[in-house]
Amino acid sequence: MRWVVIVLVLLFQGCAVKNVKPWEKGLLAKERMKPDNGNALFTRFSKHIYFSKEASKGGGGVAGGGCGCN
Amino acid sequence: MIVLLFAVTVTLLLAYQKGDRLDDVISKKLGLEKDKIYVIDFFASWCGSCKKEMPYLNRFAENEKGKDIEVIGIDVDENVEEGKAFQQALKAKKSLQFKVLDDPKGEIIKYFDPIGMPAIYIVKNGKVEALILGAKDHIDTLLHEKTEALR
Repeated sequence: MRWVVIVLVLLFQGCAVKNVKPWEKGLLAKERMKPDNGNALFTRFSKHIYFSKEASKGGGGVAGGGCGCN
Repeated sequence: MIVLLFAVTVTLLLAYQKGDRLDDVISKKLGLEKDKIYVIDFFASWCGSCKKEMPYLNRFAENEKGKDIEVIGIDVDENVEEGKAFQQALKAKKSLQFKVLDDPKGEIIKYFDPIGMPAIYIVKNGKVEALILGAKDHIDTLLHEKTEALR
């Protein structure tokens, strides 16, 4: 029974692996894929609230256009 | 985790590295000639770093025009129309004056299998002599140094 569980866990791990290649990230790099759906006003307010509460800013963006570089 | 590690290892083993020979299929597809140095750049419209690097790459291509060096761009946009529009915008700014091939299905890039983009491969006589991953400052100077060493 234990071996069956181990094999099943390994198999399901395999199912979870979807190796997205760097050149397949066009859709992920789109504006609408951002958490705020490209709403600049929402982002601005969020950043303002974050800055007010945490006295710190930055670290919310992804460099390189989502291409997996730099 | 084991499967993931295995997948990453296999990917790195199969990807072209420095010193590897290109498959004949790819050499034919790209129309590579003997004794000529090729700078193959993989880019896409959604890749910010590729966009930044392009004017410098174009400057290199223009400086080396008529010599034994050719720059080939491979646009890997899955949406060809978006890729073409991106290329047109660059051409209008004279930032893209070299040969570009469209690879929407990833039929060319899958052989190279880079871990990120922009990815530049320097190829001579069907052999990968150097590869540059990620955007670099003044790529034109860097490419000039690397290609001069191959002459």
